[in-house]
Amino acid sequence: MASHAPMTPRTRESTTMTRRRFLRSASVGLGLAGGLAACAGTIKGDIAPKSGRRVVVIGAGWGGATAARYVRMADPSIEVVLLEPNRQFVSCPFSNLVLSGLRTIDSLTRPYDGLLRRDIRIVNETATAIEPDTKRVRIGEGYLAYDRLVVAPGIDFLWDQIEGLPAARDTVLHAWKAGAQTVELARQIQSMADGGVFVLTVPPVAYRCPPGPYERVCQVAWYLNKNKPKSKLIVLDANQNVVSKTALFRTAWQAYPNIDYRASNKVIALDTSTKEVRTEFDRVKYDVLNLIPPQRAGAIAVQADLVGADKRWCEVDHVTYESVKHKEIHVVGDATIGLPVPKSGNVANAMGKAAALAIVSLLNGQPVPLMPPGNTCYSWVSDREAIAVVNSYKIENGKVVQIEQKLTPAQSVSVAQRAEGWRLSIWADMLS
Amino acid sequence: VILVRAGVVLALAVLVLAAVTNEARAAGPLDNAGFAKVITCSACHGQSGNSRTDMMPIIAGLDPAYFKKQIESYAAGRRASPEMEPYAKEIQFLGLDQIAAYFAAQKREPTPVRGTGDAIAKGKVAAAPCIICHGENGTGDPARLIPGLAGQAPGYLAQQMLLFKQDTREPDDQLLAAKKAVMRVIPDSQFAELAAYYASLR
Repeated sequence: MASHAPMTPRTRESTTMTRRRFLRSASVGLGLAGGLAACAGTIKGDIAPKSGRRVVVIGAGWGGATAARYVRMADPSIEVVLLEPNRQFVSCPFSNLVLSGLRTIDSLTRPYDGLLRRDIRIVNETATAIEPDTKRVRIGEGYLAYDRLVVAPGIDFLWDQIEGLPAARDTVLHAWKAGAQTVELARQIQSMADGGVFVLTVPPVAYRCPPGPYERVCQVAWYLNKNKPKSKLIVLDANQNVVSKTALFRTAWQAYPNIDYRASNKVIALDTSTKEVRTEFDRVKYDVLNLIPPQRAGAIAVQADLVGADKRWCEVDHVTYESVKHKEIHVVGDATIGLPVPKSGNVANAMGKAAALAIVSLLNGQPVPLMPPGNTCYSWVSDREAIAVVNSYKIENGKVVQIEQKLTPAQSVSVAQRAEGWRLSIWADMLS
Repeated sequence: VILVRAGVVLALAVLVLAAVTNEARAAGPLDNAGFAKVITCSACHGQSGNSRTDMMPIIAGLDPAYFKKQIESYAAGRRASPEMEPYAKEIQFLGLDQIAAYFAAQKREPTPVRGTGDAIAKGKVAAAPCIICHGENGTGDPARLIPGLAGQAPGYLAQQMLLFKQDTREPDDQLLAAKKAVMRVIPDSQFAELAAYYASLR
């Protein structure tokens, strides 16, 4: 990691100017996050000098936005700076319904205004490095100092595990981070000819949202069944069976004769010129391809040496979510490993809250309460019915232990109605 | 002399710093030990248990005895809910009494979900048999473990009426026998209207 160069009078002057600009934008708050982003990347030195105790949060997804909000809720005397390159929040949960045309991406998009109203400073930038010794997050040539850091980087993809994918990574869609790719994949599905083949590939565990690929299968199958009855959906699953809610998904798929599910079919190569993917045994032709690559923690976690020996995921303390590798840095959400929890939005939200309250307690010299996570996870299996899995946990001897896992007995409209309630409640819990 | 003076300055500085730190640590929600125990709940039930959605019940201001009975029923599977059975066990692990007290102490904010004027009016007429137990204004009777319905989320209310009618909610509970008898003679189509009426009460 680059060490901080001593400041010359000249750079100090320019820093002061940009600082002033930063503070002006930040204090106006609402709607000016964009203006702030335009200059933050070019700032040298301290982007926003610390006036008191400060928590910096990297990433405003399910874990990061929640952590930022709960630090401010629990102790408004602590300053919070949130680093997030995206200007708006887009929900991954419910984004499979964009592929079936049942929802628009706009219906899953929310502004960060609620966080600005809590006096959280949002900087639309990407963290480029972390310096644990000086307690700074680097953003290009500038930096932000912190007392405690929350890293909520989500996931990134291991492109080079599939031959031919690195060269095609801009054209082959994963749609595994809701946004432009989701909209584009929906468009490709809609423009596919009746009789066309849609191929979906499922990566080996661990990956973001275990039931997500299978919900996607339901949604695309429902759409094709209704609109392109001659089309087929081939699922190439690297795993030995449906990873989550297995029996419920298997039952739901009985309504969709267009699904061709192939377990233990790991994709190893891709050829976009012949529109073909290759597994260990087979070559499969596609008209529309949705390739969900194998995953690891978001880039900054790898760059900052927060990942374990596997170079993929971050091990954390089960009570405070402090990294086992670097003190005063907490990691939450899909980037973590070692807790008996799925990589879900609900778990990221729960981790964000627990990490936030742990940080506030630690900064105030108070004991950290035990805050086990919870997981409520709905999947839509048609245009109107959903299923769910719920996990509850306790903390024993400093480790998170599952108390119980419960599934809905069957798919139903009322589960789908509760999914709607969950969606609105948990978005408010992160963003309001 | 210089050393003494430096010592005084240092002591003063420490005092000032301590004052600042004390002031900085304003009373926050963490001062209530219950807050850290309920943080999982807000994902569905909203801030302080004040759900703002149609299907998730408001649990702020619930009578603690009623709250405890529900959690025990969920945990035992008598009140069947795939969502709440695991969480009820998590609540028991964290401390049911303290969590019941926490939600009882939260100010209840009526649901923002509103039915049509027509549905509310029809619901008011249909509510005649409900008044005996739930009261003229739907405030309930904590002494008899009868919950207040006023301002509750309507989608939740309608679903519970159906579960009572089907006798899938706490099937062997004698306390609920009279309620279920009332539900059995009300057509399913009227549940949404009844729910709209009670949700509209303040």
